[in-house]
Amino acid sequence: MSPSSSPPPNLSLPVAALSKTIKRRGATLALNGLDLMIRPGQCVALLGPNGAGKSTSVALLTGRLRPDAGEAFLFGGDPRDVSGRGRMGVMLQEAGLPRTLTVREQVDLFRGYYTSPRPLGEIIRLAGLEGLERRRCGALSGGQQRRVQFALAIAGRPDFLVLDEPTTGMDIDARRALWTAVRAEIARGCAVLLTTHHLDEAEALADRIVVIDHGQVIADGSPEAIKARVSGVAIRCRTRLTDAELSGLARVTGVSRDGGRVTLLTTSAPATLRELLARDETVDDLTVAGASLEDAVTRLVGSSTQQRQAEVA
Amino acid sequence: MHTLAVYAREARAQIVSTWRTPQFLIPSVALPLLFYGVMGLGLSKGREEVAHFMLANYVIFASIAPAMFGFGAAVAAEREAKLIELKQIAPLPAGGYLIGRLAGALALVGASVGLLGLLAWFGGVKMVPWRWAATLGLGLASAIPFALIGLNVGLRLGSQGATAVANLLFLSFCLFGGLWIPLNMMPDWFGKIAQVTPSYHLGQLSQMLSGVAPMAEVGRHLQVLAVISLAAMAGAWTAWRRQAA
Repeated sequence: MSPSSSPPPNLSLPVAALSKTIKRRGATLALNGLDLMIRPGQCVALLGPNGAGKSTSVALLTGRLRPDAGEAFLFGGDPRDVSGRGRMGVMLQEAGLPRTLTVREQVDLFRGYYTSPRPLGEIIRLAGLEGLERRRCGALSGGQQRRVQFALAIAGRPDFLVLDEPTTGMDIDARRALWTAVRAEIARGCAVLLTTHHLDEAEALADRIVVIDHGQVIADGSPEAIKARVSGVAIRCRTRLTDAELSGLARVTGVSRDGGRVTLLTTSAPATLRELLARDETVDDLTVAGASLEDAVTRLVGSSTQQRQAEVA
Repeated sequence: MHTLAVYAREARAQIVSTWRTPQFLIPSVALPLLFYGVMGLGLSKGREEVAHFMLANYVIFASIAPAMFGFGAAVAAEREAKLIELKQIAPLPAGGYLIGRLAGALALVGASVGLLGLLAWFGGVKMVPWRWAATLGLGLASAIPFALIGLNVGLRLGSQGATAVANLLFLSFCLFGGLWIPLNMMPDWFGKIAQVTPSYHLGQLSQMLSGVAPMAEVGRHLQVLAVISLAAMAGAWTAWRRQAA
């Protein structure tokens, strides 16, 4: 990065924020004092079970709902202001398209909403819609329609991109193509808020994971930190070191033996491995299995529910 | 400039979209033409006064369907598809979506009323130019109250319910407003219902403007129409606000 570039992202103003927001939806408390802050260039994945408050959070940040208490900010202002909305691109879950307009017409219509939009050709290319420009939206497959939705979201060259379940209905190639496009947006400094049920998607794109449940944040950190917080990483190998020596290695949280192999639980595989390999050059049959993000999130949500039940009882 | 351009693009997209929906275009534009051809020109057997009288009513009839269905009830379908939600998030100038839609609906009403006028002219209806302009112009303007009523339906009901209710309103407006069958051929209670329909008052004004009825109670008709339009506008405004809340 050149010295003349903008200040480090973490020091600049948040792109979007929810501050102690409370929102009721019918009889349920969808958000219960939720705090969330998204900074420039960050890609935040918002994870949690159905009904955790993901959609409500997105609705507050995009100005579709207003908080009952607390505040929602978009570029420092009200999410309902046109000025903030002009810097945001949104891909809504299950949003439709006008069946009778062509892809080109629909994208061009949305371009027109922004004061300095991207060139049409660039949008079509970034969204992977080449060859489909003249097709009517009603004749597209589910995955192709999602690509059009993505095209609409990036039409205004946004500084903040909200992707609500972006790859639903997409095949593997289309998903990877979309990921590449999202990474390119992040690379040019665009902040992203992603909600998804695909944990691999969160892992592939996000540099920060926020897990919410019952309208509250229950975990917030890098994908690695979230995984480590739950179960860490399991290193399995054959070694001549004793259990006591193994327990003394950096970041080890547990040692167990199964036949000739030992299993080391660690919060940092690189740190533990460096010491292990330095102490014992005969280490053999080595595997490192990460706890999957899915395991981590499931356990985090599970333990938060247990805690809640314990408090009630 | 930017705002105007957005409105224009929205309207254009709306017109293009309507043009490509023959299942909507044909009944809403062709039906009044067909009805007028059969009832106004065919059954009148060349009697100009009958064809003339019916044209005054039919310009109102021709505007109801495109305005109420094209502008109003169709909103319900777009609401269900979350299309409106996306447009509410996008940096559209306030009301851009509705203004675009209204312009699109007016274009369709214009085509519908214009074709009807053309048919009547070829069918031998005679008027001085200003009466032609006034009659067809009123037909176009009558789209506003009908569009607002349709919008209430479209914002408050799901797409299936909206279509059903809009159809019911459409038929009642035509029948009780005396657009198809003159009210003096109907029982008295028809006339009482007619008083609360915008179509009756518009039909009366249209007859006056086209010269088949003497000018009478113009103020009262306009008042009732203003009340209905304002109530519909207020209703649509609340419904629009509520879905955004």
